Amino acid sequence: MLFEQCTDTSCGNIFAWLNQGPLTLTIAMHLFIILPMIWIYYDEKKKLKK
Amino acid sequence: MDEQQPNSVWTSNSFWKRSAGWVTGFAVVLLMFLTFDTMTQITMGTDQDLKDGITKRVPAATVINYQIGYKMDYSRGHEMPVIGKPELFFGKTWSVKEANQLLNLGKLTEQSKDCMNCHTLLGNGAYYAPDLTKAWLDPMWKKGGVMQLMTHTKTKEEAMAAFLQYPVKYAIHVRKMPNLKITAKEAQGLVALLKQMSSIDTNGFPRGFSRNVQDFKQGVSNAH
Repeated sequence: MLFEQCTDTSCGNIFAWLNQGPLTLTIAMHLFIILPMIWIYYDEKKKLKK
Repeated sequence: MDEQQPNSVWTSNSFWKRSAGWVTGFAVVLLMFLTFDTMTQITMGTDQDLKDGITKRVPAATVINYQIGYKMDYSRGHEMPVIGKPELFFGKTWSVKEANQLLNLGKLTEQSKDCMNCHTLLGNGAYYAPDLTKAWLDPMWKKGGVMQLMTHTKTKEEAMAAFLQYPVKYAIHVRKMPNLKITAKEAQGLVALLKQMSSIDTNGFPRGFSRNVQDFKQGVSNAH
C-alpha cells in the first residue's frame, strides 16, 4: 500500500507522513524537485526558440 | 553555430543555473524545517509526562523509577519500549534532581571510559562488544538470569553495577571487557543511563533485538 494509516508517534507532522515508506518519500521528492526542473527545461526551450 | 547562443537546453548555462538554484534553495528550506522538527522530536520529556502517561520518544531521567518493557507493535512493524508500573531503582525512588544528576554522571562516565570504543549506543560506536542501546532489556540480567546468579545480587540494576565494577571477574564472553576502574557511584550512573536509554523509542533499533523468532511472532517481550 502506498498510503497507509500513520502510526508514528507524531502523526500531525508532515514528515511522519512522508516517512511512512520509501516510495512515499521518493514520489514526494520527485514532485518537489524534478517536476519544477521539467518546467524550467521547457521554459528555457521557449526562450531559446525566441 | 553561434557560440554565444546554444541551440540545446542542455548546453544552456541558465538552465543549469536555475535548476541548481531551485534544488539548493529547496534543500535549504527543507533542512531548516527538518532541523526544527528534529528538535521537538528529541527533546526530553518531563517527570509530569511520565506521571500523565504521555509518550515521548526520549522520556525524562525519572523513567528509572518505572518498569520498562519491550513489546512488538504490529502497526509500526517493530518493537517499542513500554513504560510500566513504578519500581524501585537501587532500592529507592529518585527525585527529578537526583535522577538528572545520576543520569548526568552516567553520561560523563560513559564518555570518560570511552564505552563507544567497543560498544554501540543509539547507533554510535563499535560492534566489538554488545550493542548497549537496549542492554537493560537483555534477558541475561533478569531475575534468576545468569548475571544475577553469578554476581549474587537480587535486582537487575545491582547485577549490572556489579558487572561494571568487576568485568573481568564476571566475564561471560570470549571478548572480555577490561577493568575500567569504575566506582560504585559511577556504575550506578551508568546503569541509570542504560535504563533510560532502553526506554527511548528508537524506531525499533537495534533491529531483531528479540532473540528467537517465536517470541517475535507472538509479540512478547524478551525482557522479563
